[in-house]
Amino acid sequence: MSTDHSKRAAQFNADANRVSRHDQTFWGVRAKRDTLAKGIPEWEQLREAASQIKKHTITHLADYLEQFEAAATRNGAIVHWASNAVEYNSIVSDILQSHNVKKVVKSKSMLTEECHLNEHLELQGIDVVETDLGERILQLMKLAPSHIVMPAIHITREQVAECFSNKGVSPLSQYGVDDPVPDDLSDPTYLTRCARYHLRNNFMTADCGMTGANFGIAETGDIVVCTNEGNADMSTSIPKLHIVSMGIEKLVPNYKSMAVFQRLLARHGTGQATTVYTSHFRKPRPGGEMHIILVDNGRSSILNNPDHWQTLKCMRCGACMNTCPVYRRSGGYSYSYFIPGPIGINLGMLRNPAEHYGNCSACSLCCSCDNVCPVKVDLSTQIYKWRQELDSHGNADPMKKIMSKGMAALFEHPSLYTSALRCAPMVNHLPECLTNIKINTWCEGHAMPVMAKASFHELWKKGLVTNENKK
Amino acid sequence: MKVGLFVPCYVDALYPNVGVATFKLLKKLGLDVEYPERQTCCGQPMGNAGFEGKSKKLVEHYNDIFSAYDYVVAPSASCSAYVRLFHKRIAGHECQAAERTMDVVEFIHDVVKPTQLPWCTFNHKVSLHNSCHGVRELGLSSPSERNVPQFNKIKDLLQLVDGITVLEPERVDECCGFGGMFSIEETAVSTRMGHDKIQRHIATGAEFITGPDSSCLMHMQGIIAKNKGKFSRLDGNGDIKFIHVVEILASGL
Amino acid sequence: MNSKDEILQRLRAHTRETYDMPNLDFETITYDDPVAQFIETTTTIAGAHLIEAKPSDDLNELVHKAYPNASIIASNIEGINAQLNPDTVKKAQDLDHTDVGVIRGEVACAENGCVWIPQTMKERAMCFSAEYLVILVSKANIVSNMHQAYERINFPEVDMPDGKHSDYGFGTFISGPSKTADIEQALVYGAQAARGVTVILTD
Repeated sequence: MSTDHSKRAAQFNADANRVSRHDQTFWGVRAKRDTLAKGIPEWEQLREAASQIKKHTITHLADYLEQFEAAATRNGAIVHWASNAVEYNSIVSDILQSHNVKKVVKSKSMLTEECHLNEHLELQGIDVVETDLGERILQLMKLAPSHIVMPAIHITREQVAECFSNKGVSPLSQYGVDDPVPDDLSDPTYLTRCARYHLRNNFMTADCGMTGANFGIAETGDIVVCTNEGNADMSTSIPKLHIVSMGIEKLVPNYKSMAVFQRLLARHGTGQATTVYTSHFRKPRPGGEMHIILVDNGRSSILNNPDHWQTLKCMRCGACMNTCPVYRRSGGYSYSYFIPGPIGINLGMLRNPAEHYGNCSACSLCCSCDNVCPVKVDLSTQIYKWRQELDSHGNADPMKKIMSKGMAALFEHPSLYTSALRCAPMVNHLPECLTNIKINTWCEGHAMPVMAKASFHELWKKGLVTNENKK
Repeated sequence: MKVGLFVPCYVDALYPNVGVATFKLLKKLGLDVEYPERQTCCGQPMGNAGFEGKSKKLVEHYNDIFSAYDYVVAPSASCSAYVRLFHKRIAGHECQAAERTMDVVEFIHDVVKPTQLPWCTFNHKVSLHNSCHGVRELGLSSPSERNVPQFNKIKDLLQLVDGITVLEPERVDECCGFGGMFSIEETAVSTRMGHDKIQRHIATGAEFITGPDSSCLMHMQGIIAKNKGKFSRLDGNGDIKFIHVVEILASGL
Repeated sequence: MNSKDEILQRLRAHTRETYDMPNLDFETITYDDPVAQFIETTTTIAGAHLIEAKPSDDLNELVHKAYPNASIIASNIEGINAQLNPDTVKKAQDLDHTDVGVIRGEVACAENGCVWIPQTMKERAMCFSAEYLVILVSKANIVSNMHQAYERINFPEVDMPDGKHSDYGFGTFISGPSKTADIEQALVYGAQAARGVTVILTD
């Protein structure tokens, strides 16, 4: 028995040391989060408040969107609405064309990933430069992110050094700066310096800066973007044209609620007390333009789904990935959807079940994700519910179905069950070549459990279950 | 107080001693314990595999045979959690038996509340396996993810045992990778999770891994049996061993 | 129907049950000495330097002491000796190669070292493109947590170079230097923006 996810996960596990590194990296982030959590007495109240604010906002979203649009328009921003990815992409290219944009500097946005914006713009000959260091590395290597917050964490320093050298990002000497050059050219500080000046040149020559939005504030029209590198700020303080792409679920009502999310986002995502930059964009720069594109792309339909609407509360912090024991040991690429981990399993199913049902196996139902989620999305319960739906979509594993049917038949008939129990010990005497057959993937990692000589049922029947010491 | 003993299917077939220990322990604690013989399974294996609908009859059956009891007690945190959290939804109506179902550790800790277990002696070091559903669904201990007062009901009970040393692994409640059908469908990851968990238990210096779920123990035991000699205890005296919490609490009975 | 109306209509039709806004007036962490906590947070987790200025100190001297090799300083703060003024440069690009930017923070937060920097200059690029940043913060403006910070932040109106009196509609919380850990989780200061930050606390 296997799924798309389990097959890719098995490949990832072929290199045990890589699994260890990956696991340790993300466990480390989870551990930092835990430490911070324990330092804040009102931690659980913050999570509950965040969940309730999101529930409230999402169930009043049309009103809040109208309020946001009015405020943003008053501030001088231009607000666009996109029903789907195609419409979103064409709004962006229309803006870029009307401003004769040749080069766009872009700070990390999962929404643009969702809508495949980069490919769309590149087809039109626009130079799109990702400016988050991790995203830039992946863009140069033509790879997809393997995590939503630390997208390139699976790439080694040697691979980055080789890529930078091939793509002309290194050597540092070309930028005319007097930073020291280490002997080891795969030193992360050295590589980061090369990227700093490589990107600096791009910021200085770009015609447009694009950002996502961590939050939109309905009352004031602010767009809030949180980064550690400051790349969103660099992207928007040099070019005069700023395009914001925001999923409609990113709204919060006001500053009072914003404070709750600011305190939770970085602590959950990276185990930091805050991101270095929490930037509020309210108005276009003098002489510039600020466009805000509000994107639906399926979100309004999710709202109608009683089992899964609460995925709309998600603020993409990545905490559920960091804690997920399966994600940590299978890597981002083992999931078919571009967002991996527990939230990705759910969002993939909401996007396209036929394409992404193979991720539903990637969960041991340990429920740790439910406990780390800053907005209390019931992630594991939702995965459990997707599994219940697979059969009706025709996507259930046939072997699993046979086993479940067989188990049910057995358990529904107590007398059949007890006779099976009596026969069970015979399994112990089957030669390993019989139990170790292909279907029985259990035996790839485990020895078969040993059936007891007599089941509890039998012992009970024989009167052997008593409190009398048999002497 | 009438207690119905629920011995989940795999405990019944593979670990009858755990059932026996539970019975003896409950009797010793002065409870009126009955074992309805027509019991089978809680339905979790089908539910986790995505065939919850197939356990509807089982759920009704469970409710029928256990409704007469004040409490239904099972030596399995995971099965107890499934009954309590999922049966109502599957049945589509209130399920009295499900509401009164408790894991044996939880039941003894919260309902019986013994202050001593004078019959128990266990002169060994054990590493406590805080299994996921026990921690995060039943609340047997405070989940490591949350900022709530620290507690551990299993540890509380084990500390009443004479001679025992209770240790806990690093990553105190990380999943061992069993997950029912998960272990068959995601063999590579499940096995790796098991390896990691066993190593952390071993690193405590314990001789035994103990927990409230024989399923997790079975998973780890299966991995060790497949890899004989690779999981020796720190004291060098062979592979680490497994014992259900109840077997410790009933030791000497 | 246009997309806006479609989206709004779908949202209204698809909302099943509505939820009220929760009460957010729960007790939040406060420090007996927010200034001491801010100093601690800024110099440890935020990774910035911090100077407590005495009333007799000359700010220009403190800036010079912090960054003795700086040759280009950018600022529009009165009394700060600067080679570049972000209000009068022609374009944002002119602020590239700035060694030190000197700016003023309006609210500072003890729990995480965040300092609120509203844009009060024509080209805010100096807050990000300068190699090093000096942030002036008055001790009186330090609060314990982000709830208090969000109650106090604003976008001050200034006389803009084009003669208007208005705010620039941008502000950012900054906590220490620009950071990245994108390459093998190795923490490196100075990813894209300031490589180092010095906070000067004034009375």
